[in-house]
Amino acid sequence: MSLAKSLKFKFMKDYGAPALLTFQNFKKRKPRPIPEAFGPPLKANQRLKEILTRHYFLSRYVPGVKKVAWVTSGAPVELLRAFDFYTIYPENHSALVGAKKQGADYCGIAESDGFSQDLCSYARIDLGHMLSGKTPAGKLPKPDLLFCSNNICQTVLYWYKAIAHELDIPLIHFDAPFVTTQQTEADVRYMAQQLQDMIPVLERISGKIFYLDDLEVILKRSMESSQTWGTILKEMQAKPAPMTIFDAFGHLAPIVSLRGLPVAEDYYHILLEEVQDRVARGIGAITEERYRLIWDNIAIWYKVRYLATFFAERKMNFVSATYTNAWAETTGYLDVKDPWNSMAKTYGQIILNNNLKHRLDLMKSMINDYGVHGMVMHSTRSCKPYSVGQFDLRKALNTELDLPAVILDADIADERVWSEQQIQTRLEAFCETLEDQVSAT
Amino acid sequence: MMNIPNRKEYLQQQSQSGQQIMGVLPALYPREMLWAFDILPAEIWDPPGDILHANAHLQATICPVVKRSLEFILKEPDIINAGYLFPHTCDSLQNLATQVKDLIGVPVPVYSFYNPKGEFNRTTRQYYTDILGDFQTILEQQHGSLDRKKLSTACKLGHKIDSRRLELQNARMTDRLPLSNSEYFQLIRAGEYLQPEDYLKLLDAISIPDEPIPNDKARIMVSGILPPHPDMLEYFDDLHLSLVADDLLAGSRRIPRIKLDPPQDPMEYLTERFFLLPPCSTKAGSLDERFRYLNKRIGNSQAQGVLFNIVKFCEPELFDHHLMVKALKDTGIPVLSMDTELQGGLSGQDKTRIEALGELLRDRMVS
Repeated sequence: MSLAKSLKFKFMKDYGAPALLTFQNFKKRKPRPIPEAFGPPLKANQRLKEILTRHYFLSRYVPGVKKVAWVTSGAPVELLRAFDFYTIYPENHSALVGAKKQGADYCGIAESDGFSQDLCSYARIDLGHMLSGKTPAGKLPKPDLLFCSNNICQTVLYWYKAIAHELDIPLIHFDAPFVTTQQTEADVRYMAQQLQDMIPVLERISGKIFYLDDLEVILKRSMESSQTWGTILKEMQAKPAPMTIFDAFGHLAPIVSLRGLPVAEDYYHILLEEVQDRVARGIGAITEERYRLIWDNIAIWYKVRYLATFFAERKMNFVSATYTNAWAETTGYLDVKDPWNSMAKTYGQIILNNNLKHRLDLMKSMINDYGVHGMVMHSTRSCKPYSVGQFDLRKALNTELDLPAVILDADIADERVWSEQQIQTRLEAFCETLEDQVSAT
Repeated sequence: MMNIPNRKEYLQQQSQSGQQIMGVLPALYPREMLWAFDILPAEIWDPPGDILHANAHLQATICPVVKRSLEFILKEPDIINAGYLFPHTCDSLQNLATQVKDLIGVPVPVYSFYNPKGEFNRTTRQYYTDILGDFQTILEQQHGSLDRKKLSTACKLGHKIDSRRLELQNARMTDRLPLSNSEYFQLIRAGEYLQPEDYLKLLDAISIPDEPIPNDKARIMVSGILPPHPDMLEYFDDLHLSLVADDLLAGSRRIPRIKLDPPQDPMEYLTERFFLLPPCSTKAGSLDERFRYLNKRIGNSQAQGVLFNIVKFCEPELFDHHLMVKALKDTGIPVLSMDTELQGGLSGQDKTRIEALGELLRDRMVS
């Protein structure tokens, strides 16, 4: 570790980042007018933006000071935190690129290099970034380590293998057996042992010694952040709901990418306080909430605003999503007294690594708990574990709960797949059905 | 000439004679354990016919292996009387397993078998042994206690089949196997549905001469999930192009790289067998190891070019494919990549591309 780099990093942390945030606030453009259909925006939005800007800004000065790991969203990052890795989440970065409607450009770079257009767009964007160095975040540090788990999909493993090969850096993979019926003792033992096997490798790469006490503190923090996130989501059971799921897609970022750090823990307390205040004062995310919806699958990042407005104007609010719930669902298994087995249980049973009966039951309880009238399912080309089975989930929910649902064929970050006319027609038909059904009851 | 029983007729006969038959989806599973339970695995890779019902359950961007398998399952064929087994191969098959079991529903049991992913070590090995034990327990619930002697016999039979397949593979690579492209892959794929004893007889009936048979055909290795469509194989034969080696999931990726010692302890043998299978995209091991393996096969078979027969929307293959092609091109080996939806004949464009590869390889032979 270079002293000069450490001093520079400290300077940027203490003075550079605050100065940047002050400058950004100063030069901030006039905010876009908020359509009448929406309630007042969350104050926490500003804090969220600051946290993420600071995280990406400081990442430029981190090489030579801390080891950098690129991590998948479902990987047990707490273990890396015990070695003080600076973590970057390529999935978050790809979502950011998608939200800025630049996904097709980045995908195109990967495709020009020979990667198939049929591959996941998060992966193509990341490979496009790797091949070109382009990023809307200014600059991303090169990783010293890649850390992935196939508990969200096999794709991340193929994708990270490709990066590891290209950059010639180590890849640590946490193999999470899919839960077909229930997690077995052998599954838990296998995952717990893998985590322990990683320690000497991480010690070598990071140059730091592992202390179990450190991990326990991090796990506790992680658990508390996830539980607070879960409580925030539960506040959306209130009528009117204090935020929309499109807000939650954004506020998800710290629990995904800063999990286990004090900044995430603090942030969710701020957000919780605000949503609770809104609930107490009856402030809704949309001005008139007549219909409540559930979203299934990852967001369509380049159309979040369009969809939020489309539904808000029709007095429809998304109050729940299987996606945002994923970072709160299994944290109850975390136990600082039994870190290895509890991490195996937590990370091995998340929604995408669990069978479709589990998903159906979860959706049914969410629909019930949140007073949902209808469902929008995003069938995304990029994510097979989320999308394969949706047609039958929809049928089951329609049969058992008489729940109107629509499936949108799109993609998470590659805007070339979006067909506005076709989707608008589908959505309008769905809204008509929903309105008729609700008014008839 | 080989006398290979027709898949459908053979399985119907087996079923009529009271044989328990389990439909097995791609790709890696402990077949010996099924044999020991007197279950005949009938593998489902690319059933023929139109896709009519599966489209109501699966998106357009799902690979044809998955779609065709579901179409087959939805027909509720009588011959499948012992259930379906879904080995864990990829995201789509993973979800299809639970979709069929938990949402669609079929009148027979549905089983899963997890194949570990990534680079393997002692922990992975222990886990594989554990899940073999779990799989045995699950099968015992339906089929009664496992007879250890039967498992031992099944492992010995499997060992003989693997050994013979290795010999035939090596013979093909060294021009000592007088079979056309079509015949060779028909022979390989017969193992997907024949009783092991019948399959071994078929393999043993092929004679391997000591000396190479003169071969002036251009030599190609084929890589992918499945062998090319029979029409394409015939076209390769017509053009005097010989597929001398394969790196196919339905082919050599399911035969241990080296001849194993005869089995002593069945569970140890099955574990050892899994870890000695060649590198494969679906197991997601090291890319360098996979490339080294491909290169070795190219060297051993003296293949002059590689045909990548890519099943449309197959994510594991598509990721590896790009990097394999790059690496092969860097070493000067010509590559042809073709997408397949598993059905339908050869298009004019396909023919032109194959002809172009053939000409390139022949020109190189001359020079």
